Amino acid sequence: MTAAPLLLVAAGGMVLGILIGRMTPRLWLMVTLVSVIAGFAAGAMVLGGGNEWEWRSAFLVGGEPLHLRLDAISAFFLVLLCVIGGAGAVYGHGYWSKLAHPRSVRSGRLWWSVLLSSLGAVLLVSNGLHFLIAWELFTVSAYFLVTLDRQRSEVRAAGWLYLGASHVAMLCLFAFFTLLAVRTGSWELGSMRDRSELAPLFWLALVAFGLKAGMFPLHVWLPSAHANAPSHVSAMLSGVTLKIGIYGLVRFSGWLPVPPEAGWVVAFLGVTSAVLGVAFALGQHDLKRLLAYHSVENIGIILIGLGFALVAMGQDNAGWGRLALAGGLLHVWNHGLFKSLLFFSAGSVLHSTGTREMSQLGGLWRMMPWTASLFGLGAVAISGLPPLNGFVSEWLIYLGLFDATLARGPSAWMAIPAAILLGMTAALALACFAKVCGVVFLGAPRSQAAAHAHESGPAMRGAMVLLGAACMAIGLAPVVFWSAVVRAVDVWNPVWTGAATSDHAWPVALSELGLFHVALAVLALVAAVWLWRRVRRGSFSRALTWDCGYALPTPRMQYTAGSFASIITEWFAWILRPVRHEHRPETLFPQSASFTSHTPETVLEYVITPVTEIVMRVSRAARSLQHGRLQFYLLYLLIGLAALAVVVLLGGGK
Amino acid sequence: MSGGVWMIGHPLLNLLIGLAMGLNLLALGSSRLPSIIRAMSVQGMLLGLMPLLLESANLDWRIILVVLATIVGKGLVIPGLLRRAMRAANIEREIQPFLGYVPSLLLGAGGTIAAVALARALPLMPEHAGSLLVPGAIASVLTGFILMIGRVRAISQVCGYLILENGIYLFGLLLIHSTPLLVESGILLDVTVGVFIIGLIVDRIQRAFDSLDTRKLNTLRE
Repeated sequence: MTAAPLLLVAAGGMVLGILIGRMTPRLWLMVTLVSVIAGFAAGAMVLGGGNEWEWRSAFLVGGEPLHLRLDAISAFFLVLLCVIGGAGAVYGHGYWSKLAHPRSVRSGRLWWSVLLSSLGAVLLVSNGLHFLIAWELFTVSAYFLVTLDRQRSEVRAAGWLYLGASHVAMLCLFAFFTLLAVRTGSWELGSMRDRSELAPLFWLALVAFGLKAGMFPLHVWLPSAHANAPSHVSAMLSGVTLKIGIYGLVRFSGWLPVPPEAGWVVAFLGVTSAVLGVAFALGQHDLKRLLAYHSVENIGIILIGLGFALVAMGQDNAGWGRLALAGGLLHVWNHGLFKSLLFFSAGSVLHSTGTREMSQLGGLWRMMPWTASLFGLGAVAISGLPPLNGFVSEWLIYLGLFDATLARGPSAWMAIPAAILLGMTAALALACFAKVCGVVFLGAPRSQAAAHAHESGPAMRGAMVLLGAACMAIGLAPVVFWSAVVRAVDVWNPVWTGAATSDHAWPVALSELGLFHVALAVLALVAAVWLWRRVRRGSFSRALTWDCGYALPTPRMQYTAGSFASIITEWFAWILRPVRHEHRPETLFPQSASFTSHTPETVLEYVITPVTEIVMRVSRAARSLQHGRLQFYLLYLLIGLAALAVVVLLGGGK
Repeated sequence: MSGGVWMIGHPLLNLLIGLAMGLNLLALGSSRLPSIIRAMSVQGMLLGLMPLLLESANLDWRIILVVLATIVGKGLVIPGLLRRAMRAANIEREIQPFLGYVPSLLLGAGGTIAAVALARALPLMPEHAGSLLVPGAIASVLTGFILMIGRVRAISQVCGYLILENGIYLFGLLLIHSTPLLVESGILLDVTVGVFIIGLIVDRIQRAFDSLDTRKLNTLRE
């Protein structure tokens, strides 16, 4: 049995989903689920040891014959797409309901189907032209999903920024694929490692896919798009579409030759994204914007893995590159799972309280125990703590970096700081999520909305439980997933297949890690049960936390998101450039005083905006040439003709 | 530059072209619309005669047909249409041109001299080297441009366009052996219909806005 019938079912389901998406919600959900399960099964079959699936047809699309291919790398990302796509569809069924959003619920289903199918097409096609078509379709459908709630002006602004940034990436992709087609003589894609003249094209791919993946400093579109999209869409954007950027980088760095310095650049950008992503996250007061910056951080971690794999490939295919890439790829899955879980939980908070501002929340764990505990699970995973999946992939990357250090040579000098900064990133992420959990779920409610929060419905909870379970599965039994990851890595660089001497060592090490994780989880469970029983027995009394001796403490006297993180954000003030608005108490009996602070989008506001303003000024100046006076238009013509004549007469036209 | 060089081959042809270049200057220097139109129509008739001279060895009925059509079209029909439009709009004179008459005359004269000088620098075929065809064509195109750029009345601009077209026609005569006559007659028909429509539009604009100043017609620039 091959993957073909399953993929046919998946594709058929998607087409049916697009057709009926506007009308019948339940049937649409069922069809979508069948479709993603079939897609998942097809991907799992290839990853589980099945043959690659390849299909060439004489059928022409845009003048090019259709050529589909499902190898281990495609399958690796397809599996993630199907999991998040299915979970998001279920979650969206409860979250973006007809009652709450009568205007957009139908188009939401339609564009969800279009997005899933175009992403699937991006993963499967093996022709540059078709890749471009699928990519554009995916960009546009994601735009419509981001702007589902387009009555709000900030949503429209975020959507516009997303669309603009995506099309910069698209432009680079156009250049990339057409140059590739010109140099190879065909739009067909495939392995062409031996043609070293194609190497410089990698930089175009890096800009295009890096922009889409949200790599620093090309991440400018990401925070606002992720924060303003509906939460199931944010999960999809963060969990899957960013990874499609990574897919592009992995795919084309595997198929095409890369310049020798590519690995260093990617690793450097990865480290930068990781550290600055988490620094910016710490400065945020908006729950979803904070999660969006953590996507930048995690993309950075993935890029560190990919970058060191590229470095290793340039240095006689050293075995540690394989580990680094395996860690990076596994982190693709892991980040997809726990970031979607976190966005789902954040959406659940937003759904029940109506605000993303952390300063309006607080004390939600009593009202929303499911959401709070699942968010906590996701927070542990994203902070890279054992026993969950985030630790597994980061551990693999660390091992790769340590091996690179032991191997000596120039790579060691990059690997040591990278490992240190990766550790620092994880520590900062932990601090950041301590802040989020503390401010949002603990303490006392800071607003009426937070005080009257309620747990979300079964569809939303079910989707979150599924993702939480997946995070635990990878954390507790990592060895099960090792073979899938290795298969994708070996497709990326076939030289590594079987060459690494440690082929048998890693599964053993991973199963030991799994055992350790299980033991840790059991211990944690035992401790939790013991604590819970003590609470139940009531052998202690409840009281306020120490309130500094205030006579009448109010919920406003709690740590805010800004004050909790202020020590760390001070360290990064050189890039965060936090803006403070102070109104100090002045007289003996001050009437009013206030203090607010916020972190701007530094790159967007201090780099991109000034540049675009210059462009706009030049364009406006050019527009005054167009004044509507026919006489002057004719004069332009004459001047142009005269200039051409001069060029020709001077012999420049030859 | 000795005048004798240009008389080799087609003395009569060069004479006609010289006259046409003079008419260019007349059109540039005059402020009254009727005299511009007259200059243009005489120039059209002169040009219409040229195929007769060029093909005097092997005349056939098609060439005679083209000659007649050009003379009637450029010499009578188009000027007639323009005069009608002029009467309908009730204007006789150009007012306040962008470019004064003396400067445009100087520019035109300079352009004509430059065209003659320039033509020697162009890589022409040997049989065309002695004729004034190319300089005449360039000078007419330049004159047309100067009229269109310098004048504000729509009708003077149309005249400018027609003189420019005459220049292109002169260029076309270089290719008279290879251009099918059908193309020539097609161009002529296009120009006639174009002028016909412009005549109607001028009438409408005059009635709607009470002015034919093209400087005021710039609202639709986007």
